[in-house]
Amino acid sequence: MENDELIQNMVFELRRGIISIAVLSLLGKEEYGYSLLKALSDQGLEVDQSTLYPLLRRLESQGLLQSDWRIVDEARPRRYYVISPQGREVLAQLKKEWASMTESMQKLLS
Amino acid sequence: MNLIEKYAAEVGKYLPSRNRADIEAEIRSTLEDMLEERAQAPNADREALTLQLLKEYGAPRKVAESYGAVQYLIGPRLYPIFEMVLKIVAAVLLGVGLLGFGVNAVRMDMAGPALVHALGKLFVDSFGGVMMAFGNIVLVFAVLERVLPLSDQKDLTDEWEPADLAKEQDPDRVKTSDLIAEIVFTVIFLALFNLYSQYVGIVIFNDNQWTFIPVLTEAFFRYMPWINLLWTLQIGLHVWLLRKGMWDVPTRLINLAFKLGSIGLAYAMLIGPAIIKVNTESLAGTSLAEVARELSPLSQFILVPFLIAMIIAPVVEIVQTVIYLVRRRSSVPFPVK
Repeated sequence: MENDELIQNMVFELRRGIISIAVLSLLGKEEYGYSLLKALSDQGLEVDQSTLYPLLRRLESQGLLQSDWRIVDEARPRRYYVISPQGREVLAQLKKEWASMTESMQKLLS
Repeated sequence: MNLIEKYAAEVGKYLPSRNRADIEAEIRSTLEDMLEERAQAPNADREALTLQLLKEYGAPRKVAESYGAVQYLIGPRLYPIFEMVLKIVAAVLLGVGLLGFGVNAVRMDMAGPALVHALGKLFVDSFGGVMMAFGNIVLVFAVLERVLPLSDQKDLTDEWEPADLAKEQDPDRVKTSDLIAEIVFTVIFLALFNLYSQYVGIVIFNDNQWTFIPVLTEAFFRYMPWINLLWTLQIGLHVWLLRKGMWDVPTRLINLAFKLGSIGLAYAMLIGPAIIKVNTESLAGTSLAEVARELSPLSQFILVPFLIAMIIAPVVEIVQTVIYLVRRRSSVPFPVK
């Protein structure tokens, strides 16, 4: 296997690990699926829609997100997602874990 | 229906019905948002953009799979038992087929091209029956896949303990694979006796063709209501046990009652009129009559030991169960429920 492919796979795994935290942190305010994809992209996190939508469903079934279908500004119906109170608690804890992990990794890699 | 709607419906085909409509609506909404943004440029060709967008979004089945929508006819939990049952049935069919062929080959003194021809004809003639048997097995497992709860998948969850490997198996814990195999074989025999009883018999190679002679007599069919009742109740008990996961005193006592019923049935068949017989009268005047007359005593020779075994095996099981229940009762300080 070429190095490029190896690196690509590892980056994919890394990204998959952090995408839940990124989504939870962005959903402090309501977003619909496509706007969330763009928001993630604007932050430098390119996420495939086939990764994002199943993830949103999973987070909702775990009680970390809430969603409802709405028509805003006479546009087509869209499903809006927002973080739930339980999701906020989990996010706060995840942020601490993340800080600890990045600190450890910084030490390890320096 | 436009292309986006068709695409969402195509994804929906591979999704479970529970949340199909919801996921389809979300896919439609997202694709329309994406298309709206791309189509803002002047002179944009919406149709070409839609095609490009759908191509990027991915093959419908792959998109459905990303939602965890892989559906099984027979899932990984039942597959090993399914494979085992299939192998047993295949081995039995092959064994019976080859035995019948061997007897006929010796009887007719077949050799060379005649032997190959007869073997080839046997394979062709029995193909339909074999496929039917395998089809019924798949059907039974597909139903079990949907009836059995997921709670018996303890080994796939955190509840699984490596230390359990060293422990002696709890005698009250249901052996899932044994019960499933019993259910499948009971269903196979119920189907065989009720729907395909004409296929229970012997095959004779005569005048360059295989002839099938059914052997079940009218006396056998008089027992069918009792066989159906007993075996259906047994299947019901086994499904109940698979859902509960544990034997208890009431289920063991019900099982004992079924064993007693089986013994009674086998005894009645043993002392009553013959339940299998090669009907030589119907073959009178044909070239098969003599062969059938030769084989007639052979059928009783096989049946009697079989019925005796059908009496002895449940008796042994009843004795084992009673000993277990008595020991268990005396080893606990209060009666088990």
